[in-house]
Amino acid sequence: MKTQTKSRIFRIIRKRDGTRPIELVKKLRITAQAIHRHLRSLTTSGKIEARGRGPKTRYYVAGAPCLDKALRWCASIRKPAENPGEFLCETRDIFTARLGHIGSLTKAGLKEEELPLVISMAGEIGNNCFDHNLGNWRDVPGCWFETQATAGRLWICIGDRGQGVFRSLARVDPSIPDEQAALVTAFEKILSGRFPENRGNGLKFVRNIIVAGEKRGLACRSGAGLVDYGPLGGDCRVELARDPHHPVGTVTLILWGFK
Amino acid sequence: MKIRLKSYGSILASRPAGREAALAMKARLRPGPGEKIELDFEGVLSVGPSWLDEVLSALRREYGKDRVVCLPTKNASVTESLRVISSS
Repeated sequence: MKTQTKSRIFRIIRKRDGTRPIELVKKLRITAQAIHRHLRSLTTSGKIEARGRGPKTRYYVAGAPCLDKALRWCASIRKPAENPGEFLCETRDIFTARLGHIGSLTKAGLKEEELPLVISMAGEIGNNCFDHNLGNWRDVPGCWFETQATAGRLWICIGDRGQGVFRSLARVDPSIPDEQAALVTAFEKILSGRFPENRGNGLKFVRNIIVAGEKRGLACRSGAGLVDYGPLGGDCRVELARDPHHPVGTVTLILWGFK
Repeated sequence: MKIRLKSYGSILASRPAGREAALAMKARLRPGPGEKIELDFEGVLSVGPSWLDEVLSALRREYGKDRVVCLPTKNASVTESLRVISSS
């Protein structure tokens, strides 16, 4: 019976993006003491983890990201009502300044020698948002930039409300048939969306780094297109595909295991 | 002559920033005839291929490909950036 309850608690936590103990009490109709006992047991076994403090504590599946806010922002058809300043970088300067914050993740276990690669990858993805959409944003200028470190995994989510990869590349190569083909081209071929400038190596650089390590993965979604690379690319794909709505621009999720 | 890139920042990312850095470098550089221009990455945390491509392209256009060299470094972002730039 206890095991069944614990399994139910775990399933609820996995389904939602952060669950408070009070929500479990109401849903399962058992005492708060029992809920907390199960939560302690699941935390000790490494299946879930608590984030936040006091009454704001929420429980999440350990090692999984919480992307609800980010994906909602990227996929909203209308201009998003909420543009949280902690994640939204309205200008390239703000984004570049926040890139440096990745350095603090060495305290969470990210290796010093891997820091240059992680920062440069995030830098290429984020700067692409500005390179391809400056003056062409759908509504909100800038990019969403969020990092989450959980259970030895670093998740980096970067999204924008721009034109999307297909519209950007189809101007240069009209033979690209759709959004899926555009994403593959962006990551695998040298082709600049800003002809006649000689560009187009940033995403190849990112892909090279991702496929070179066992605990790395990336997925990118733009319109109906979705690609993933690296051994953990499938994990990223699953997370991005959770939201049934297509992003209006582009959203990229990087996973970097460091334990 | 040596250019210490850490004086342009510890995180060197984006093409606009690379273009700005290249312009600043060219304004100050006064190499002697045939003198090599060495890019020193000591003290730099991270370099992206976009930034490095802008700098290398601008300096090599001005002084010739053989005169602009990158000094050896253990920084993996530099070696990966150079690898992707040279293959494009």
